[in-house]
Amino acid sequence: MKATTLAAVAAAVFSIGAAAAAEPYKAPRTADGQPDLQGIWEVKTSPDKDLEKAKGLIVDPKNGKIPYLPAALAQKKENSKNSEAQDPLNKCFMPGVPRINLLSHPFQIFQTPNQISIAYEYIHNFRNIYLKREKHMEQIDFWQGDSLGHWDGDTLVVDVADLNDQTWFDKAGDYHSDQLHVEERYTRTGPDTMLYEATITDPKTFSAPWKIRETLHRDTKPNARILEYECQYLADEAAKAKK
Amino acid sequence: MKANFAILAAGAALMVAALPVMAHHSFAAEYDSTKPVSVKGKFVKMDWVNPHSWIHFSVTGDDGKVTEWTAEALPPNGLYRQGWRKDSLKEGEEITVTGFLAKDGTAVMWSSNVVRADGTRMFAGSPNGPGGPGGPGGAPGGGRGNGGAPKE
Repeated sequence: MKATTLAAVAAAVFSIGAAAAAEPYKAPRTADGQPDLQGIWEVKTSPDKDLEKAKGLIVDPKNGKIPYLPAALAQKKENSKNSEAQDPLNKCFMPGVPRINLLSHPFQIFQTPNQISIAYEYIHNFRNIYLKREKHMEQIDFWQGDSLGHWDGDTLVVDVADLNDQTWFDKAGDYHSDQLHVEERYTRTGPDTMLYEATITDPKTFSAPWKIRETLHRDTKPNARILEYECQYLADEAAKAKK
Repeated sequence: MKANFAILAAGAALMVAALPVMAHHSFAAEYDSTKPVSVKGKFVKMDWVNPHSWIHFSVTGDDGKVTEWTAEALPPNGLYRQGWRKDSLKEGEEITVTGFLAKDGTAVMWSSNVVRADGTRMFAGSPNGPGGPGGPGGAPGGGRGNGGAPKE
């Protein structure tokens, strides 16, 4: 009886999986025929607290641990000791990639034939993802790097390089060097959901590439828009002291 | 209410000694989740600032002594999405702020809701606090930006 039930459940699960695999969601198209990723998107969890503790976020390696080289692991532990004071975000610096997409702040995607732009509510950041450029800028680092995009079927693949070594991945002190290279993948999975994946490579800090996966949710409220979030260093301390 | 003031007195010395050392502290560092509190007073003003806004209100104790309280709330973008506007509260109007007391015993609290005299409840911050499981846990340093309904 038990075995029969299990088999039936297994068969049902398999058929659901097979059906899902057979018919992936087909994203609507922009006027020039690109899969349409436009809209206001946001993570619904707070993976930024600690990537390793965010359930199911790190999908590779299987153990969910960031594959630090020994010296880098020691540095991460050092960072985590006084992370609130050391986190570059708390000093109003730009978050870098992929952290910018994992903050609990919405961002809006706009598409043109040559370029995809993302406007972020979080301290008015923006990113330009160039679809027709083939080479990254050379011998320069930026907080948000340089993003080159191309389509792999319905997935937008973004190669991010030229990132500096000043940002952290999360509040827990996870960090990287200026050898950081990020490959992002954006795939619409439904009318209001998008899969966000990022493969992180940095031979100075990690023994192997590692990968995160998170779902972005579209803001479906009427009149949805991004607002403003400015970073005001010590503003709340000042407000508290002013009384 | 009386109990609050006892805590307040005990923390007065600490308050003087405390100096701002960083832009933001997590909910867990600042507030005591085992000390839910409801404080009634008269609205003074709002500071619409990031990473968190502050509600200033004055509380008159049983002995007639007036204490100026501050309640930490969602940032401006989060409050806006919850329906708050600059003219939502009028100076001098009676409000009851519910939330959690500061660990240091000062007249500072985390606000979850503000209730007006007519019973209108305004959501001001997650009951879990900025660092809590359903709270504004995002950036920077815990200031969840969009301030939506409690999540997870």
